[in-house]
Amino acid sequence: MNFTIQKLSAFLLIASLAVLAGCNKPAEPPSASGGNSPGGGKQLTIAFLPKSKGNAYFVSCAKGAQKAADELGVKLIFDGPTDPDPARQNEIVENWITLGVDAIAAACENKEGISTALRKAQAKGIKVITYDADALPDARSFFVDQATPQGIGYALMDEAAQLCQSNGEFAVITGSLTAENQTEWRKYVEERRAAAYPNMKSDAVEACDDLKDKAQSETTALLSTYPNLKLILSTTSLGVPGAAEAIKQAGKTGVVKNIGLGLPNENKRYVHDGVTQGVILWKTEDLGYLTVYAADALAKGALKPGDKTFKAGSLGTFDIQGDNIMLGKPFTFNKDNIDQFDF
Amino acid sequence: MPDGCNFSGVYLKQRENYSHINRTDNHGFKKVLLRHETILLFVLAAEWIFFDVIGHNFGTYDNSCDILRHSCEIGLLALAMTPIILTGGIDLSVASLLGLCAILFGKFWRDAGMPIPLAAACTIGVGALAGGLNATLIAWLRLPPLIVTLGTYSLFRGLAEAITHGVDTFTNFPASFLFLGQERWLGVPAQALVFIAAVIFFWLLVHRTTFGRSFRAIGFSPEGAHYAGIPVGRRVAMVYVLAGIISAIAAIIYTARLGQAKADAGTGYELFAITAVVLGGTSIFGGVGSIHGTLLGVAAIAVLHSGIAHALLPGEMAGMLTGVLLILALAGSILPKTISDLRARKAAFNIPKQTA
Repeated sequence: MNFTIQKLSAFLLIASLAVLAGCNKPAEPPSASGGNSPGGGKQLTIAFLPKSKGNAYFVSCAKGAQKAADELGVKLIFDGPTDPDPARQNEIVENWITLGVDAIAAACENKEGISTALRKAQAKGIKVITYDADALPDARSFFVDQATPQGIGYALMDEAAQLCQSNGEFAVITGSLTAENQTEWRKYVEERRAAAYPNMKSDAVEACDDLKDKAQSETTALLSTYPNLKLILSTTSLGVPGAAEAIKQAGKTGVVKNIGLGLPNENKRYVHDGVTQGVILWKTEDLGYLTVYAADALAKGALKPGDKTFKAGSLGTFDIQGDNIMLGKPFTFNKDNIDQFDF
Repeated sequence: MPDGCNFSGVYLKQRENYSHINRTDNHGFKKVLLRHETILLFVLAAEWIFFDVIGHNFGTYDNSCDILRHSCEIGLLALAMTPIILTGGIDLSVASLLGLCAILFGKFWRDAGMPIPLAAACTIGVGALAGGLNATLIAWLRLPPLIVTLGTYSLFRGLAEAITHGVDTFTNFPASFLFLGQERWLGVPAQALVFIAAVIFFWLLVHRTTFGRSFRAIGFSPEGAHYAGIPVGRRVAMVYVLAGIISAIAAIIYTARLGQAKADAGTGYELFAITAVVLGGTSIFGGVGSIHGTLLGVAAIAVLHSGIAHALLPGEMAGMLTGVLLILALAGSILPKTISDLRARKAAFNIPKQTA
C-alpha cells in the first residue's frame, strides 16, 4: 500500500513538472519594442530601481519619478531590495525582463553584478538607463549624472566665498585623505579657490574618517589652532553636523560659518539654529524626474545616442556629455528652503 | 539528546508513527489526497494559476526558467538541509558558508591564480572541511546542532568579512564560467542541471538507500538507532559534511549567476532553506520527511516570489505570504488528522457509554 502511495505521489510530481515545462506559452511582446510606437498607442511601463527601497534619498527620487510618470502618462513601477543587496537587484531586473517592461532605470549597488542583468534586458529590446550610480557603459544607453566632481567642488567653494565675502581663512574637513571621490572634490575646491578667490586661504585639511564624533573633535582643535578661521567646509556628509556641534559648543555660532556636502534632514536643526549656513547636494526629486523623462524618451526613440541636449518637461533642457545626461549644478539647501525637502 | 526536554517532540513522533500504521488500514486514495505533499502540490498549482491570471507574462517558458534559476541556490541548501532535519538536527551555517566559499573561490581564482576548475575543486574542499567542523562538534563532541551551527553561522560569515575587510569584491570572471549561472544549456538554465543532479542524488540517498532509513531512525530516536546497530555518529557526521559540500557548490553557482563574489553572498538563505524543508512536510523534530516534499516547498516559495513581482505587488508581501503559506500548509495537513483523532476519541468515549 505504501508503495502505491509513493508511486502515485511520484507520478503527481512528474506530472506537475511536465505541466510546468509544458507551459511554453509564447511571451507577450513588450508593448513597445524599441520605439515602434512612438507617442500614442499602448501605455509605456518604466521600471525604477533604487539601491534600497527604504532609503529616504531614493524615496525622494521616486517622488520626482512618479511626478514625471504622471505628466507623461506612463506606468511607473518602483521596486528594489529592502536593504542594499546586489543579488536582489538582479532578481528584480530579471523579473522585469519577463514582465516585459519598456524601460528600466537603475541605481546600481554593484556595477559588474547588475550589468549582466541589464545587458540581458537590452538584448530583449528593453531600454536601460542608469542614475545615481552607474553600471558598466555597455549595459545601459545613458547615465543620468547627478553631479560631476567639478560641479561639487566649485559649488562648495563658491558658497564658501559668498559667505566670507571672498576674503579670509577657512579649513576643510574631509572624509578620508585617500578616498578617490574626496580627493577629486578637494582638488576642484582648490582649483576654484586659486582661480576665482585668491584672497581666501585654506589653513588646513583634516580627515574625520567619516565619523561625526571625529569631525567634531577635529573642528574643536581647528578652532583653537586657527583663531582667524571664518569658515569650515566639509566634503563629507558626516562632517557637517560634526563641525556644527563643535562650533556651537565653542560659542562661535555665526562667527565661524559652516557648510559642506550633506542631506537636508541631518542638518535642519543646525541650519535653523544659524550654526550651519548651507548644505550642498542635488535635488533628488529632480534626479528622479529627469531619469524617468529620459527613459521615456529613450523608449519612444526620441532620445538617441549622440544627442547633445535633452528637454525634460518643466525642468527645461539638460546637457548631455557623451552618454551622461547632466543634472547640472548642485543645489544649496539653506534656511529659506531646507524645510521643503525630506531626505 | 538530553532527557525530559523534548516531550512534545516525542509525542508528535509517536503520533506520526501510529497514524502511519493506521494509514495502511485505510483507503489508499483518500490518504494520498490528504498527504502533505499532495496538498502542497495543489497549493502550488493554485499559486501558479492565480499568478498566471493576475500577473503579466508569468506562465511563460522564460519566466519558468528564471524561477528555476533563482531557486537553485536555495534549492540546493534545502536539499542538503532535508537529511539533517531528518536526523533531528539543524544547520544554520549553510548560508554563511556559502558566503565564505564564494569569496574563497574568488580568492583562489584571482589572487592565487588558479584556473576556474581547480578553484572550484578547492572551494568544494573548503566546504567539506567546514562541514567537517560542524560534524566533529555535533557527532563526536555531542554538542547540540542548534548551538554549534549558530556559532559557525557567525564564524563563517565573520571569516568572509575579515578576509575581504567587508569591501573587497571579486568580479570580471571569464564568460565561460559565467555561462554556468547566466546562460541556458539544452533549453534550461545551466545551473538547473547541477540542481537536478543534486535532486537525484539526494532522492536516492534519502529514499532508496539504507542511509536514508538510518537518518529517519536517528531522527526518531538516536538511542534506539544506536542499539539497532546504526553507526549514529558517522551517519550524523555525513549529513553535515554533505551540507558543507553542497553549500560550496551553491556558492559557485551564486557567483556565476551574479558575476561577483562578496562577503554578504546569500545572507538569510538558511532561513529560506529551512522554511522550504518544513513547508515540504519534513518534521522539525526529525524522523519524517521527504526530498520531493522539500522540492515542492522550494517551488512554492520561488513561485510566490516571482508571482508577486509579475503581479506588480510590493515585494515585501513575499515574506508575509511565505509565512501565511507555511502556516496554511502545515495546518492543512494536520487538520484532517486532528479531526479524525477527535472523532476516534469521541467514538472510543461513546462505546463504554453504550455498554454501560
